[in-house]
Amino acid sequence: MSLIVGVDIGNSTTEACVAEVEGSGRAYLGSGLAATTGVKGTVPNVTGAARAIERALLRAGRALEEVDAILLNEATPVISGLAMETITETIITESTMIGHNPQTPGGEGLGVGVTVAFERLAARAPGDGPAIVVIAASVDFEEAAAALNAAAARGVEVAGAVVQRDDARLIANRLDRPVPIVDEVTHVERVPLGMAAAVEVAGPGRAVRTLSNSYGLATVFDLTPEETRVVAPVARALTGTRSAVVVRTPGGDVTDRRIPAGTLELHGERAKRTVDVNGGAEEIMAALRRVQPLADVVGEAGSHVGGMLAGVRETMADLTGDAIGDVRIRDVLAADTFVPREVRGGLAGEFALENAVALAAMVRTSRGPIEQVARALAQESGVEVVVGGVEAEMAVRGALTTPGTAAPVAVLDLGGGSTDAALARGEEQVATYHAAGAGDLVTKLIGSELGIDDRELAEHVKTCPLAKVESLFHVRLEDGTVQYFDAPLPAETFARVVALTEEGGMVPIPTRHGLDRIRRVRRDAKRRVFAVNALRALREVAEHGTVRGIDFVVLIGGSALDFEIPELVAEALADHGVVCGTGNVRAVEGPRNAVATGLVEAWGRERGPAAAGRSAAPAAEARS
Amino acid sequence: MTMTTTAPPPAHALDVSERGPAAQGSRHDEVVVALSPAFGGFFTRTIVDVPHGSVLRELFAGIEEEGASLRVIRVTHSADLAIVAFAGAKLSGSGIGVGVLSRGTTVIHQRDLPRLSNLELFPQAPLLDLETFRAIGRNAARYAKGETPQPVPVRNDFMARPRWQAKAALLHNKEMEFVRSGKPVELEVAIGR
Repeated sequence: MSLIVGVDIGNSTTEACVAEVEGSGRAYLGSGLAATTGVKGTVPNVTGAARAIERALLRAGRALEEVDAILLNEATPVISGLAMETITETIITESTMIGHNPQTPGGEGLGVGVTVAFERLAARAPGDGPAIVVIAASVDFEEAAAALNAAAARGVEVAGAVVQRDDARLIANRLDRPVPIVDEVTHVERVPLGMAAAVEVAGPGRAVRTLSNSYGLATVFDLTPEETRVVAPVARALTGTRSAVVVRTPGGDVTDRRIPAGTLELHGERAKRTVDVNGGAEEIMAALRRVQPLADVVGEAGSHVGGMLAGVRETMADLTGDAIGDVRIRDVLAADTFVPREVRGGLAGEFALENAVALAAMVRTSRGPIEQVARALAQESGVEVVVGGVEAEMAVRGALTTPGTAAPVAVLDLGGGSTDAALARGEEQVATYHAAGAGDLVTKLIGSELGIDDRELAEHVKTCPLAKVESLFHVRLEDGTVQYFDAPLPAETFARVVALTEEGGMVPIPTRHGLDRIRRVRRDAKRRVFAVNALRALREVAEHGTVRGIDFVVLIGGSALDFEIPELVAEALADHGVVCGTGNVRAVEGPRNAVATGLVEAWGRERGPAAAGRSAAPAAEARS
Repeated sequence: MTMTTTAPPPAHALDVSERGPAAQGSRHDEVVVALSPAFGGFFTRTIVDVPHGSVLRELFAGIEEEGASLRVIRVTHSADLAIVAFAGAKLSGSGIGVGVLSRGTTVIHQRDLPRLSNLELFPQAPLLDLETFRAIGRNAARYAKGETPQPVPVRNDFMARPRWQAKAALLHNKEMEFVRSGKPVELEVAIGR
């Protein structure tokens, strides 16, 4: 009988399990988990590995001296990178329009007239036609209201107002005859004066209807068909806002420009394609499918994506001592996303959601310095360390300890940097594929789409269900139900959307977004990364590239612990007739510890790990 | 900084009259502004000479702009900001109260919170200008409506304490002289132009 410890060094966590092995019998005594120290597959891993071993032994109630051998997975460095490229930009020229959602516009309806500075209102005569009054921050709301009333009393028609401060309702409340007023226009001084203009404010919960309609604009400004064609983008830009101002200037326009974002060169083993990042995720992924199997990817210098790819290459070259030219990017994942950006030329600090493309790339090497890690770990622990066991094969073995599974089974390892698939085909061959993009990309998408700079906060949004704190004694959960509390909740959570952490804490999410929107962004990000990658990776390992041929898929890895990712992946796979579920390694570990368990399972059997000091043959890549 | 002698803001005359014991509010969109014993009475300006009439005018404007309703009470039994504001929150139909001391220190309170806690605290009275008071009123109204306001940015000047502490202490002692036992009273407030 021997006491064996299996150790799996992963990208972000290192797992260990302790077992007594007697012939083909295995008695598992305990397992442990620690954060991976350093890049996976390099000597700094020893610290994390030692910690995980220590924890597992503590659980097992055994001492390090009793251990006969430590089994280490063939950990090879994986480096992944993320970059984002904004590809559109909205520009308003000649200050033609203001389309924003001040929280509290004043009045209601549509006003059409000529823009007049507040200071010139007194000089205006009754016959001069309707006026849209432009009021700067220096004018007090009572003064403004009094002057508008006085003008109206004189017979000067006031059709609407554009206000710099947050005063719209204060002014409207004081008018004898309320007119539509748009406020919080930051750059009110840039509103062109003496021009035809229209102000529209919709009722609560509604959106402007005249100014967001091209023919509405044509009616208001008496436009020719030619001119109507020109203002169409203005109308489109105003769709969905509660209040809007359009000033008709000779050259005014709104353009939706595409920013050159460089190109991506995809080198396949047989073909080569150049694709514009501008084309979006769909085009990039389509090009990628056409050049498969991928040999390398090069980005254009000077673009974010090019910089990221070069950075990934460089880090890997430093790690392995290879020349940068020899490091090849083995997979990329592109996802469409959007980033809130201030509109150039906007008068009210308007934000537009600009399109962007997020790109994850991955490089891995088969020649990791794992022997050095093994030597260092042996020295540190005083125990013989056996390297071996192709990681994917071990993962399959470990996953098969899940009750209810049977070979052939495919394993999807949902990690932080990559989504890996492994499929045991027949007796000898395990096909594997490593897809770039996983948990970290989800965090990045959530952060950019919600405008959250704080990575830790974005991580909370990703991993926790949401709730809105409606009073200090109750919250409304994201499924619509209400939860009550006996003790008051912390003051800083009041009226906020919060992330409910596993430990029962509440982390307020300081954005303007409502609960529903945050939830939608979160689920969409997960779907765009994990559902897409699960299919992509399974297609690569499946025979003839048909996912349908796979019967069982077991999800393992840190992201499989997520409260909704397994469900989203299962949903995507259900279309292909695949049974998919979260693994439960040894019926106790959940999706954790698969590789460590697989190492122990394989030890001493005919296909077990190779002897120490020899590395097993690299995985047969799924390139039939 | 608005601390010393820039041009004084236009003074808005303040006329405050007591209208008997303050009642429990029932409107769900109500913000109660709770004033300290000598606010708008013995004192007419904050620690940096912002007229009390202008302070209330901006607070009220912020609340009105958000479309919330408003009531004003005076707390007579304490000059402690937490107690003043908490009394207002307790009487408010929405549970949201804004407490203001004569020297300008302000807090947004909620009735279910512990008394010494708060939703938003503005502890450095010398840094509070009219714009901040407007924003405080606006946020209080948004809490009352059940919205999710961004907290008003609080400025911090670590010199404010050494520079103003002595004056603040004197003002506090003076305000303490006006403390008398009794329940909060309803106020009618008229602000001149």
